[in-house]
Amino acid sequence: MAKPAVVLIGADKGGVGKTTVARTLLDYFTAHQVRVRAFDTEVPRGTLKRFHPEVTEIVDINLVPDQMKIFDTLQEGDASVTLIDVRAGLMSPTLRALRDIGFIDAAKKGQLTFAVFHILGPSIASLDEIAETAAYLGDAKYFMVKNFINNTHFFEWDEATHSSYFKRIKDAVEITIPKLSEMATEQVELASVPFVTFIANKKRNGEPAANSFVLRGYVRHWLGNIWAEYDRIGVTEIVRPKELAAAAGEPAGRPRPVMRIAEAAS
Amino acid sequence: MLTATGQAPAETGSIRTRDGASRRTTPLYVVCSPQRCVGKTLLARLLAEFYLIDGLPVAAFDLADEGPQLADFLPRCTTIADLSDATGQMALFDQIIADRRTTKIIDVSHRAFKDFFTIAQKIGFFEEARRQGMEPLILFMIAPGPKSAKAYTILGRWFAEASLLPVRNQLVAKGIPYCAAFPNESAVSVSLEIPLLGASLRTLVDQQSFSFADFWRTTPASLPARLDDELQAWIKRNFLQFREIELWLMCEEIMSALK
Repeated sequence: MAKPAVVLIGADKGGVGKTTVARTLLDYFTAHQVRVRAFDTEVPRGTLKRFHPEVTEIVDINLVPDQMKIFDTLQEGDASVTLIDVRAGLMSPTLRALRDIGFIDAAKKGQLTFAVFHILGPSIASLDEIAETAAYLGDAKYFMVKNFINNTHFFEWDEATHSSYFKRIKDAVEITIPKLSEMATEQVELASVPFVTFIANKKRNGEPAANSFVLRGYVRHWLGNIWAEYDRIGVTEIVRPKELAAAAGEPAGRPRPVMRIAEAAS
Repeated sequence: MLTATGQAPAETGSIRTRDGASRRTTPLYVVCSPQRCVGKTLLARLLAEFYLIDGLPVAAFDLADEGPQLADFLPRCTTIADLSDATGQMALFDQIIADRRTTKIIDVSHRAFKDFFTIAQKIGFFEEARRQGMEPLILFMIAPGPKSAKAYTILGRWFAEASLLPVRNQLVAKGIPYCAAFPNESAVSVSLEIPLLGASLRTLVDQQSFSFADFWRTTPASLPARLDDELQAWIKRNFLQFREIELWLMCEEIMSALK
């Protein structure tokens, strides 16, 4: 049986696009036939659940029963990947809780795969978050995500400061999420569907939608760039070993064009 | 969208040409050049009026930001487009994609050249146009200088799904050894050329009140016979080339129907 994988997406600061990144990852896993379940810690109203209701459950990560719901069931069910969209301000407490319950140690021993997508904001506080996060990571795969979707300018960073923080985490990898046209962002929000469904011009129930061709094109182009980043860092290989991917007939490392995936979805 | 009579075309399952043949693929012409004063608007006008004379529905889109522009000559069938924001882009591209039955002509000014093709590439405009039953034809007005040749090479690389055709305006590109710098690698084996026109006739056709369709139907009484003959022959030569493109489109349809 394959090792369970846990992907944690978080930031201590709000409004940096955690849920957007979670949504792109869910679309990416689905397109690569990686079975995934998601937990949205934004109680009581989860944004992630609005876009991916079929695979998402809302939990309060501060509560032990909800922690049990996530971590005691890693080996159960169909999903090989558990994705957790951590609410603003809960990144460090969640990592602390994971350390306390022995989860980080289990990852160290190779019993499970643990990856952290840390969404960075433009302020120097984000760099302090990196330092704080480093203390809990153990052998986790650590991805620092510079998210430009909210028109972020990383104005407070200078290269030397950034590097000094970046080097504190062994094997940290940087990912860039490009900006998406504001109108396209708004229209996907209104449609409340996964990005690939929007691109395929479908409603949630599979009926044809009337989304703008131009905006669908922008979303497709944007998502294609993000998936190229995920291809570059080998996301599927992290959560699913190469041998399993090969067994599933998936050529390693070959990017899948978003257009083709959107067509398949339609 | 207008026909020659200024009316909306009849709603039928397929468009019928003058000779009665039905057509399912409609051309989508993009007339462009990264340089100004090379005859883009003249070619766009000729194309639009060619279809209007045939009684086929035409929608033209004008991306020029200086006059005289296409909308000055053909105000009834031309929409002025603006690419500067998403709303303007949606108004242009969504409208084109939504209506698969009308021949479209986009007059891309030299200033809008880069933005238009960058957006078209980003949103997959020509692929989608093809999926919707349109045949994208980029008519590139060639001009002397490396800028034009470089832009042509880039378009060829970016848009394999569109037919990129060099157009030689004899007034601008006479004597350019264009075959090497502007190779026609598309499936459309039509060599497009705007022949030279005498100075007095150029002045006549440049008037905003002048219509090729009107001239085609009725010769103005004030025009001397020699000039009338010259202009008739000039228009005929241009229209013949457009007719060749139409024939190529029909052949393609027949071939794909046989497959």
